Amino acid sequence: MNWDTFIWFALPAMILWACAGIVVYRKKSKVLADILMITGISIYTLFIIGFWINIERPPLRTMGETRLWYSFFLAVIGYVTYRRWKYPWLLSFSALVASVFICINLFKPEIHSKNLMPALQSIWFIPHVTSYILSYAMFGAATVGAFVQLRKINRKGLSDKKIFDFLDNLVYVGFGFLVLGMLMGCVWAKEAWGHYWSWDPKETWAFVTSMAYLAYIHLRLQGKKYEKTALWLLPVALILLLITWIGVNYLPSAQGSIHVY
Amino acid sequence: MTIMQQENKRKFWQMPWGYPESITITAGIAFVGFVLQITIKEFNFYLLTSPVNLIVGALIVSLCLLTLTIRKSKFLKWFTSIPFSVCLIMALLILTLIMGLTPQTGTAPADRNFFALLGFYNMTGSWPFILIYFTTLLSLGSLIVRRLAKFNIKDYGFYLNHIGLWLVLLAGGLGHADMERYIMHVREGEVEWRVYDDEGTVKELPIAIQLNDFDMEEYPPKLTIIDRTTGEPQPLSAPDYYQIDTKAPTGKLDGWVLEMNEYIHQAVRNSDSTYREMPMPGSTPAAHITMTNPSTGETLTGWVCGGNRAQLYKSLELSEKYTVVMTVAEPKRFMSDIEVYTPDGTTKSAILEVNHPLRIKGWTIYQYGYDNAAGRLSSYSSMELVYDPWIVPVYIGFVMIAIGAIAMIVRGRSSNRKTLLTDNQKEE
Repeated sequence: MNWDTFIWFALPAMILWACAGIVVYRKKSKVLADILMITGISIYTLFIIGFWINIERPPLRTMGETRLWYSFFLAVIGYVTYRRWKYPWLLSFSALVASVFICINLFKPEIHSKNLMPALQSIWFIPHVTSYILSYAMFGAATVGAFVQLRKINRKGLSDKKIFDFLDNLVYVGFGFLVLGMLMGCVWAKEAWGHYWSWDPKETWAFVTSMAYLAYIHLRLQGKKYEKTALWLLPVALILLLITWIGVNYLPSAQGSIHVY
Repeated sequence: MTIMQQENKRKFWQMPWGYPESITITAGIAFVGFVLQITIKEFNFYLLTSPVNLIVGALIVSLCLLTLTIRKSKFLKWFTSIPFSVCLIMALLILTLIMGLTPQTGTAPADRNFFALLGFYNMTGSWPFILIYFTTLLSLGSLIVRRLAKFNIKDYGFYLNHIGLWLVLLAGGLGHADMERYIMHVREGEVEWRVYDDEGTVKELPIAIQLNDFDMEEYPPKLTIIDRTTGEPQPLSAPDYYQIDTKAPTGKLDGWVLEMNEYIHQAVRNSDSTYREMPMPGSTPAAHITMTNPSTGETLTGWVCGGNRAQLYKSLELSEKYTVVMTVAEPKRFMSDIEVYTPDGTTKSAILEVNHPLRIKGWTIYQYGYDNAAGRLSSYSSMELVYDPWIVPVYIGFVMIAIGAIAMIVRGRSSNRKTLLTDNQKEE
């Protein structure tokens, strides 16, 4: 399996997810939504496994490959959190965003090299990147939740406690993964480059992003007082996160970064 | 907006302080920093070299412990409060955001512009950053002391995350001045103890390294069609490359169909311009290929070889203008077989490799580089020697934060909500 056969797995997966995202709103079709979603995820997983075997290294190097995982974890986490919190929008949204990233891979494929440079050959590589992608998926979902909550506040003048519980949990879990990803990156950097933190542009931006979520967490400890400020912080933090993830490569300040691929 | 409205009941600067005062004071600290930056220029971090950093560290710890005596004061409650923490976090966010947008070259490009004056090109050495960093250490440290004074095991997540972060910030920041990094170039079969620092100054270390052998493994290279006069890969807009892969022996290059008949990873040239397998330092990858032009039916067969210092390259000419060539192979692994000696007679031998450093007497030795032009034939190996005495407290901090992060993932927010909220309400 390679990028040429990707479409034959991606297309069925996207169609199944789209169907799941629609039927989930019908009260009677909950089981059907489960089946559609799980089948879609299975097909997608099958491709990742085959692809991994084919390229003889974990597919975690190029941007295209990280998008592959982002779609995967969005679908999986979207589904799991939907089952936990029962918000149908969560399933539809994660299915939609997962599909968007699949489409980017389909229509704008990049050069996919098979060669992994020596510095990337580390046991920390997979957990480092996977941990980040998990946190990105959590924060992506939290941002949507923030807008839902803001709309609730604007309409009724009151926030929904259930949504806030959900949001806070998502941010806590996402932040936990973000911190783990950073720490694993630090330990890896110490092994490979001699220092655990060098203020490499990607590191600087990761720090900026983590500060934004840290501010959210602390603002939320003050009860109802700063609800709206905290909520607006989530989309801002997501923008910072996207710059860390994608934007850094294009910044003039990032020339010579060890994280450019 | 919301912040201002809610603080209206109380007059500005009237205790208990909230966001308006916290924002003002944080901005004030940053302002003082900028004034210092403009007047006395950037903070010289190496002033903190041992034992100064030990004294500063002890001073910070004592100051934090001393806050126990004013534990009930409204000032301390504010100094360790959430509003002030959020402001410090935001200050760090803004400063590092500027840092992320400005190339950290240390000096400004050519002309001395206003941003250079403010220290933007060397953020971590600028006074605003240093002052906010020390304020954060004090605020966080005092908070930890205050919370430890009324210890509650249920707050373990709080302790792990905050103490861990404080340790990392303290040891990472203060310890930076004591860190030493040098590059050593060792020739094969020779012993070396002279190193270069980042300014190129030579220094002798109490460590000697003998390089027994340098070796390198390479990935199979790629094939591409180039213009014989300019050397540009074709087609110019988006060059085609065929990654040599014995499992996928066909490819397309600029309209031609490529078929690989044979690939030898370590080849030497025979007298008749064919290649045979011969694993030795001077060997080079070679591929026997057939190129077919589907539009004309033209077929060409021959060997292509990348070459190195020991062997000439070989290309397959398609026309007077174009030819098939092999790219320089990318390194898969490179390793140095070394022996390390210290004055007290300790000897250690190891195969040094990227991601597999060697630790000896407080020093860590890393595989750093080699003669890129010579590749596998490099006659020397470059190693980086790092001395980082503050690494232990930093790693203790890492472990604490990691456990704290796992606690966040497993518990979410729900279970620790009550204790923190009541604690907060008591303050307000």
